Amino acid sequence: MKMLNIDGLLVYFPYDYIYPEQYSYMLELKRTLDAKGHGVLEMPSGTGKTISLLSLIVAYQKAFPLEVTKLIYCSRTVPEIEKVVEELRKLMEYYSKQTGESNNFLALALSSRKNLCIHPEVSALRFGKEVDGKCHTLTASYIRAQRHSDSSVPVCGFYEDFDAVGRQVPLPAGIYNLDDLKDFGKRKGWCPYYLARYSLLHANIVVYSYHYLLDPKIADLVSKELSKNSVVVFDEAHNIDNVCIDSMSVNISRRTLDRCQANVDTLQNTIQNIKETDANKLNMEYRRLVEGLKEANVARETDVYLANPVLPDEILRAEHFVRFLKRFLEYLKSRLRVHHVVQESTPQFLKDIFDKVCIDRKPLRFCAERLQSLLRTLEIADIADFSAITLISNFATLVSTYSQGFTIIIEPFEDRTPTIANPVLHFSCMDPSIAIKPVFQRFQSVIITSGTLSPLDIYPKILDFRPVTMASFTMTLARTCLCPLIVGRGNDQVALSSKFETREDFAVIRNYGNLLLEMSAVVPDGIVAFFTSYVYMENIVASWYEQGILENIQRNKLIFIETPDAAETSMALEKYQEACENGRGAILLSVARGKVSEGIDFVHHFGRAVIMFGVPYVYTQSRILKARLEYLRDQFQVKENDFLTFDAMRHAAQCVGRVIRGKTDYGLMIFADKRYARADKRGKLPRWIQEHITDGSLNLTVDEAVQLSKHFLRQMAQPFRQEDQLGLSLLTLEQLESEEMLRKISQIAHQS
Amino acid sequence: MASLSEEVLLVLKKVRQRKQDGTLYLMAERIAWGPEGKDRFSVSHLYADIRCQKISPDGKSKIQLQLVLHTGDSTTFHFSNDSTALKDRDAAKELLQQLLPKFKKKANKELEEKNRMLQEDPVLFQLYKDLVVSQVISTDEFWANRLGDTNNSDSSLSNNKQEVGISGAFLADIRPQTDGCNGLRYNLTPDIIESIFRTYPAVNQKYNENVPHELTEKEFWTRFFQSHYFHRDRINTGTQDIFSECGKQDEIGLKSMVVQGVKNPLVDLLSLEDKTLDEGYGVCTTMPSTSNRTVKDSSNSAIIKRFNHHSAMVLAAGSGKGETAGDPASETSCTDGNSRDSDFFQPPVKKVKLQEAIEYEDLKKEKKPKTIALNLKKSDRYAHGPVPLQSQHYSTSQDIINSLNYIRHEMVNYKPNLTQVLCSTTASSAIAALSPGGVLMQAATQQAINQMVPTDVQGELKHLYAAAGELLRHFWSCFPVTKMKSNLERFQVSKLCPFQEKVQRQYLSANLTGHLEQMLQTAYSKFHVWQTRRMLRKT
Repeated sequence: MKMLNIDGLLVYFPYDYIYPEQYSYMLELKRTLDAKGHGVLEMPSGTGKTISLLSLIVAYQKAFPLEVTKLIYCSRTVPEIEKVVEELRKLMEYYSKQTGESNNFLALALSSRKNLCIHPEVSALRFGKEVDGKCHTLTASYIRAQRHSDSSVPVCGFYEDFDAVGRQVPLPAGIYNLDDLKDFGKRKGWCPYYLARYSLLHANIVVYSYHYLLDPKIADLVSKELSKNSVVVFDEAHNIDNVCIDSMSVNISRRTLDRCQANVDTLQNTIQNIKETDANKLNMEYRRLVEGLKEANVARETDVYLANPVLPDEILRAEHFVRFLKRFLEYLKSRLRVHHVVQESTPQFLKDIFDKVCIDRKPLRFCAERLQSLLRTLEIADIADFSAITLISNFATLVSTYSQGFTIIIEPFEDRTPTIANPVLHFSCMDPSIAIKPVFQRFQSVIITSGTLSPLDIYPKILDFRPVTMASFTMTLARTCLCPLIVGRGNDQVALSSKFETREDFAVIRNYGNLLLEMSAVVPDGIVAFFTSYVYMENIVASWYEQGILENIQRNKLIFIETPDAAETSMALEKYQEACENGRGAILLSVARGKVSEGIDFVHHFGRAVIMFGVPYVYTQSRILKARLEYLRDQFQVKENDFLTFDAMRHAAQCVGRVIRGKTDYGLMIFADKRYARADKRGKLPRWIQEHITDGSLNLTVDEAVQLSKHFLRQMAQPFRQEDQLGLSLLTLEQLESEEMLRKISQIAHQS
Repeated sequence: MASLSEEVLLVLKKVRQRKQDGTLYLMAERIAWGPEGKDRFSVSHLYADIRCQKISPDGKSKIQLQLVLHTGDSTTFHFSNDSTALKDRDAAKELLQQLLPKFKKKANKELEEKNRMLQEDPVLFQLYKDLVVSQVISTDEFWANRLGDTNNSDSSLSNNKQEVGISGAFLADIRPQTDGCNGLRYNLTPDIIESIFRTYPAVNQKYNENVPHELTEKEFWTRFFQSHYFHRDRINTGTQDIFSECGKQDEIGLKSMVVQGVKNPLVDLLSLEDKTLDEGYGVCTTMPSTSNRTVKDSSNSAIIKRFNHHSAMVLAAGSGKGETAGDPASETSCTDGNSRDSDFFQPPVKKVKLQEAIEYEDLKKEKKPKTIALNLKKSDRYAHGPVPLQSQHYSTSQDIINSLNYIRHEMVNYKPNLTQVLCSTTASSAIAALSPGGVLMQAATQQAINQMVPTDVQGELKHLYAAAGELLRHFWSCFPVTKMKSNLERFQVSKLCPFQEKVQRQYLSANLTGHLEQMLQTAYSKFHVWQTRRMLRKT
C-alpha cells in the first residue's frame, strides 16, 4: 500500500492491505489532532490499533512539524512498550524505503533503571528498588564530589562518561528500543538510562509507561520539560482511572511509623554530627534554599515547569525540620491508636492536626521537597532505607495540597481478622481526574484508546475532560471468529451465578466444574478460565478436587493455576504455553484483575476458549470503595451501581478479549453467569463483542453451550485464506478508494 | 529333564497342581512344574505366553497362585508347605513380577516388528500370504528365516522408538475400591507405577532405597497411598512417614523451576510492570498475610501448588529429559567447537517473540512459505561436504552448438552413392527382417506373448515366481533337509498345478510355467541324487 489519503493527509502505511476499521480509526484520529483536542477511541484488539496510530501521527508530524512536535506514547507493560517501538521501527523502515531518504526521526523507549542499567554489578540485582538504590549510591552528586578528593570512592563509570561527553552530541536519529539503548550505551560507554532521560527532550517520539506522566513523584523528575505541542496517547487505557488513583494514594501502617521513627532518629544524629564537625554545610544549605526561593519564583512565572515550592520558615532550618517531622510522626502514631474505624475528609484532618499539635497547612505542604533537600545535604546514599520517611512526607504534602477528592480512613484491624490489631491509615484518592488533570491541561491532544472502553461516555466523566471525538469501532469480519455464549443454567436447570448468596452453593460449583470438564473435551489446545477473585478460585478448586472433577479434567488437558506469587505464575504460564504448543492441551485457571488478565495475550492455539466464571465485581464491602462510590455520585453524578457494573464489565471484557488477537484468530467467549444476560450488563460490553451475542445464546445450559461450541469450532477449523477476507475485512488501496467502500467505512465508527 | 542347560532361578517344593504334589521350577525363560518323584514336567509355560498372574487374597486359607495365558487357559498352583507357604508364594510372585514384563515386552516387540515388516514391504506381505496363509509352510518357519537377518540391520531402528508420554490423569485412574470391610484397595499396574516414577522421581528414589530391604513392595505402596504426600490437601499431622521428604524435594524442585525463570519475556510477569509502586503507595489491596491464614486456606493453596507441579512434571516427563526440543535458547548452549555458528544465526528469543507479536500475517501480500532457519553446528562441514568424485565431463553449450553445426554441415553435403546400393529384393527382405516379427526382431515377439496375457495372470505369475524363488532359496540354503522337499512338492501341488490348469484352459499354447517347473525339477533331481547317494552309503 503506497500512500493513504486520510482526509487530505498523506499517510504511509507499511502493509499491503488495510482493515477498513484502521482507515476509519485514522480518520477519527486526524479529526482529533486537527481540532487540537482530546479523544476517546475504542477499537477491538488485534485490528492493528498501534500501527494505525503510529502511521497517522508520524505522517502528521512530518506534514506539520511545528504543530505537533512530539508524540508521547504511554503503554502499560514493558513488553507492550517494546512492541510499540518495534512497530514503529517497521514503519520507519517503510518510510525510508518508499521515500529513499534516511530516517531523521528520533524515537526511543524509556523504562526504569532495572531494564536499562548496564553496570555489571548494579544490573545483576533482581528488584527495581535495589537497582535504583544502588544506582543512587554510585551517581549521587555528593558521592561524585567526594570522588574528587578520594579516588577510592566507587562511582559508575558509565554515568561519568555520559556526564562528561554524552550531553554534547544529541543521540543520532533512529529507533531505539530498550535493547538498542543498552547496545548503544555499551558501545559508547555511556549510561543508557540517563542518556534516554536526557534525550527525551529532543526525541520526536517517546514511548514509556503511564507512571512517567501520571505519577506526580516521577513525572516531576522525568516529564517536566516536555513540550506543550505534544500528542499524548494512552494505550490500553481501560484502567487509567485506577492508575491515577494508585499514584496518589498512601497507606500508613504501624510498621511504617516504626521505621519512620528510626529514620528520624538517624536524621537527628546525622545532623548533630555534622553540626559538630561541619556546621558550615548546613548553613550553606540554608542559604541555598533561601536563594532557591527567589529562583523558584522566577521559574514559576515562565509557566514552563510545574510548580516549585516556596518553603515556609518553620522547616527551613534542618534541625527545625526534623523536629517538625517528629511532631508529625507522634501525631500520626496517636491517630493509629484507635479502636473503631474513623473516616474523615482532608480539611477535618488538617484542622485536627492544627488543634492537637499546632502544625499548619503550609509547612506540611513542602514536606516532601524539604526532605529531599535535606537527604541530599546530609549525603545519605541509600535512599531506599529512607522510604518510610519519604512516604510520610509525601503524605504530608498530598494531604495539605488537595482539599477535595481524598478521604482518610483509619481502620484498627482487617475485616477478616477483627481480633488482630493492625491499624492502617488509608489516605485514598477518590478522584482520578486529579492526577491526570495536568496532562489534559498541558498537552494539546490526549488520545485515550483501548480494545475495551465501553461505555465510552463514562471515561470523560470520571476523568473530567471534554473530548472532541468519541468513537467505538467494530471489527469487520469475513467469518465470525468470535463466539460469545452466555451460560446461565446447568444441565439440571440450576441457575449459575457467582453472586454472594450462591457463592458457596454446591450445585453451582458442581455445574461450573461440569462446564469446564465438558469444554475441555471439546475445545482443542488451550482454555483459559477466569474467576472473580483469588479466594473464590481457591475455594472452587478445592471443592472440584474433592469432587474429583479436576481428575476428570486431567484426562483431557493439563491444569495450571495462577498463584499470588508472580514467579510461580510465570512458570505455570510458560508450561501452559508449552503444553499448548506440543499438542497436549492445557487449562489455565486465572483471576480477573490479576496480572495474567491484564498483561498476557492468548493468541491462536494458546487460547481457543475463555470461560468467565461469574461477574468480576470488585469487593464492595471495602470502605475505600464505598467512599469512592459516594464521591462519584456526588461529584460526577455516576450511580454506584452503574459504576460497579461498568467496572465489572470492563474487567470481564478484558478477560474474554485476551483470546482474540486478530482476524485470523478465533475463540469462544463463555460468560458463565446468568446475570450477563441482563441488558444493563450486556450493554456495557464493547460493541464488537456485543454485536455477536444472539438472542438465542443468552441463557444456555451447559449442554447447549457445548453443542454450539462444537459447531463453531468445526466451522473455524476450516482453512481460512486471504482471499476470503479480501474486499470484506481486508482492503487493497483500490478497493479502499471506491465510493461504496468509503460509505461502508463511515458506518464502522460508532459515535457516541 | 528337557534341557539341563537352562538356568534355574527358583525351586519351590510342595506345590500342588491338580491335587498332585510336586515341585515348581522358575527358569530363565519358562516356569515349569513336575509331579513328585518324576523327572519330567507336566506343566511348562514360556514366560512370553503368560498374560498375568493372580494371587489369592491374604485372608484365604489356601495360598494360591494362578497363571493366565494369552490363550485364555489358566493354571493354578497351590502352595501347601505349611510353614513357608506364604513366603514361597510371595517369592514366586516377586520373581514372576520381575520376569513377566521383560518377556511381555519382548513378545509384543516381536509381534510389532513382524507387523511392521509386513506393512512396509508389500512383496513380503504377498509372500506371507502365498506361503503361510495357504499353509505351505508354518509361520515360525517363515519368520525363522526372515527375522534372523533383519534383527541385526534393524536393531538401530527399533532402538529409537518413540517414547510414550504420560497421561495427565494417571493418578485419577487409581480408583480406590472398598473391599467391604472398612478398607480400601488400590489397583496398580506397571504402567501406573512407571508413570508415578517418571513424574515423581523422588518417589522412585524412595522406592529404590527402601524396597526390598526395608519394606516389601506392597507395604511401600500402602504407605504411599496413606501418606499425606498422596493426599496433598491433608495437612501434615506430624507423623513420620517416608514421603514427607518427597514433599520437600518436590518443593525444592518447584522452587528451582521458579528461580530458573522463564525464557519467554512476554510471559514473565515479574518484569511486566515497568515501575511498581513502592510499598505504602496505591490503593490498599493487602493480601491476607500468611501468618493468620487458616488451615483450610493453606491446604487450598497446597492443592493449587500441587496441580501446577504435577502438570509441569507430566509435561517434562513427556518431553524427554525436561528439555523442550526445538527451543532455540536451549539449543544454543551446545558445547561442540563450532557452536558459535548457530548462536550467530539465531536472533535472541525476545526479538523473535516480539516480532511474532507485532506481525499481522493477513495484512501482508504474499505469504511466503515459512522457512526454517538453518541451524549449522559446523559450518565448514556444510561448505566442504563430501562431494562424489566423478571424472566430470560436461559438454558445454558451445560444444553442443558446434556439433549441431557439424551435423547440419554434413547433411547439407550428403550425396547418396547411387552406384553401390542393394538390389530391390534384398532391400525388401532386409526391411521384412527388421519389421516386428521378422528374423532380427525375435525379442519383440516374445514380448508380444507377454502382452497377450492379461495383467491378473501376469500378477499371479509374478507372485508364483516370488514364492517359488523364496522356497528354492530356502531349499538351497539348507540343502540336505528332507522337509524342504516336501515343502516344494506341496507348493507345486497346491499352487503351481492349479495355475497351470487355469492357463491351459485359456491359452493352450502359452507355456508360462515351464521355467518354474524346470527350476523345481532341478531341485528335485539334486535332492534325488543326494538321497540315492546317501542310501548307497548307508547300505
